[in-house]
Amino acid sequence: MQYLLPEILVAGSALLGLLAMVVVPKVRGLASWVVLVGFLAAGVDAATMWNVTPSLIVYNSMAIDKYGITVTELVLLAGISTILLAWNAEHFGEEFPVLVALSVLGMMGLGGATSLMPVFLGIELLSLPLYILAASRHTPEGGEAALKYLLLGAFSSGILLFGMALLYGATSTLIFVAYPGIASHAQVWLLWPGLGLVVVGIAFKLAIVPFHMWVPDVYEGSPTPVTNLMAFGTKVGAAIILLRILAFGFYGQAGAWGLLLGYLAVLTMIVGNLLALPQTNLKRLLGYSGIGHAGFLLVGIATHNIQGAQAMMFYLLPYGLAAIGVFAVIRLLEQGQDGDRGVILSDLQGMAYQRPWLATVLIVGMLSFAGIPLTGGFVGKFFLMQAALFANRPGFAVGIVVGTLVGLAAYLRPLQAMFQRDGVSERVRTMRWSAAGVMVVAVAVVGTIGIGVYPAPLVHIVSQSANFYWLKGG
Amino acid sequence: MVGFAIIGVLLLIAGISVVVARQPVYSALALVGVTLGLAMIYLMLSADFLAVAQVIVYAGAIMVLFLFVVTLLTAGKEDKEPADTLAGQRWAGALFGLLVGGALAVDAVLHPAPKIAAPVVPGFGGLHAVGEALWGPAFVMLAGVALLLLTAVLGVLMLNHPEAAEKIAGHRRTTPPGVTVSPAEGEDGA
Repeated sequence: MQYLLPEILVAGSALLGLLAMVVVPKVRGLASWVVLVGFLAAGVDAATMWNVTPSLIVYNSMAIDKYGITVTELVLLAGISTILLAWNAEHFGEEFPVLVALSVLGMMGLGGATSLMPVFLGIELLSLPLYILAASRHTPEGGEAALKYLLLGAFSSGILLFGMALLYGATSTLIFVAYPGIASHAQVWLLWPGLGLVVVGIAFKLAIVPFHMWVPDVYEGSPTPVTNLMAFGTKVGAAIILLRILAFGFYGQAGAWGLLLGYLAVLTMIVGNLLALPQTNLKRLLGYSGIGHAGFLLVGIATHNIQGAQAMMFYLLPYGLAAIGVFAVIRLLEQGQDGDRGVILSDLQGMAYQRPWLATVLIVGMLSFAGIPLTGGFVGKFFLMQAALFANRPGFAVGIVVGTLVGLAAYLRPLQAMFQRDGVSERVRTMRWSAAGVMVVAVAVVGTIGIGVYPAPLVHIVSQSANFYWLKGG
Repeated sequence: MVGFAIIGVLLLIAGISVVVARQPVYSALALVGVTLGLAMIYLMLSADFLAVAQVIVYAGAIMVLFLFVVTLLTAGKEDKEPADTLAGQRWAGALFGLLVGGALAVDAVLHPAPKIAAPVVPGFGGLHAVGEALWGPAFVMLAGVALLLLTAVLGVLMLNHPEAAEKIAGHRRTTPPGVTVSPAEGEDGA
């Protein structure tokens, strides 16, 4: 049970934050502090478990290994950045940090799940607070975003659950790490539809192309810190659990699902980045870019080799760092005039001259999204391409290149708007720095460039954590 | 097998009438039939406690809630159905439902599950066994479900805050810029 301490710390901080709101309502922002301390403590505690011998816990339904610990650290980073971006903003509601903590708890559960029950619970615990947070500003757009997210989320959860029921029928166990031994003589007619439905259900959460329609509206309508959590945390959770289910539970059938997912990945990369091209709202643009990045992540799963798993895990951090940097810029711009009206491209006018530091953050983030050398995004795309070529799938590599090229055009448009000389937009002039915002952008910029220049430590970490084949023995 | 077939047919009839009934009250009553049928299937599978809980929780508590809502919302209203927004969506839905159901039925007939030879352990499905499963192997999951329910409660509180209703109303009101809300009105929400 001591292996679940990070989860317990996060859950405890959520409950304590809730209690603090009731017991000392005078002290504003106490819940944010409690949850922040809980996140940091959970992060430290998870890090101390790094060298623990991997084992199955909770009656084989959860695993404690480097894979899960890496996921925990990633989603805690997403959670901390979300709390910091909403720091001192009382209009988000006092319950904001508590709901963020609960959502992060769901993502952490996904990292360690080895049975379909924690997978479903994790996905629900991840999504339910996000539905609420999307509407937390009580704006009509937020309500629309929350309703769309809720309906499509419920729909996809139904698909996922149906698939799990079929898998249970085929194998008579929910513990998917036991499937490799069973799947070969399981009821094929239940197994394949079950697997297909589970993959579709998770693809909805990950926003893979035929199932991506909800993303732009939800990203645009939600408050910026919440969008940050959706873009980083949800992607980590969904990608990581898809990898563990497919690459371990169904490695015997990899020939069939690998190629199919590869086609979807190529489609997602190209369509997502193409649709990002004409966007004028920055959050919408990031929504489509998030779809494109889900395609890149999917390449790592579809190649089905150890390099692919490592490349996907590597890609998550530079993507997440760039995302929190760009969302922090949007949040800082929103702290100026006009409040929460969406930041559009013309709002960036003159930023490069008036606010050079803020402009630097946006440049670094966008270039990392696009995959320009010396940023983390480049190294991530490089490893993905290597994995695709090792797997003897040149088509995937071509897809990555085309997707990157189209994406580059989309990411340069905000930068072009930023460098326009004729006048400075009202938003850039009235934006205000905040200490919490500065912390987030500093971590994002240093991290993005750091990974791009010296990726060796991160490569070491992911090469150890993506190796979860110890489960074969356990 | 015969018992299962009879309950299955009853369940199907009740389920279909939930969907096709014109009055919401009839739908709710048909849903009671569905829950009772399910409880009987649980009984046949020797899940005694689950059957009782199903009847108490669903037929007892949740259906009463449904009926309250139906009575409050539809009292004195005409039962006109709104027109389909998508042409032919009913037929498409029925077709897909039949296809999926048919495929599952064909699969069940062609590949029947292996017969379980061993008899169920004594006490299986009783209060004790369910309690031991919930507080033993599934305890972490139980805690997760508890947190999920807590989230739902929080969501209701957060989205139905009295200030929230005012704020949404404020968004709808087309107040010209520069006009401030009078202090008395502002204090109401605080």
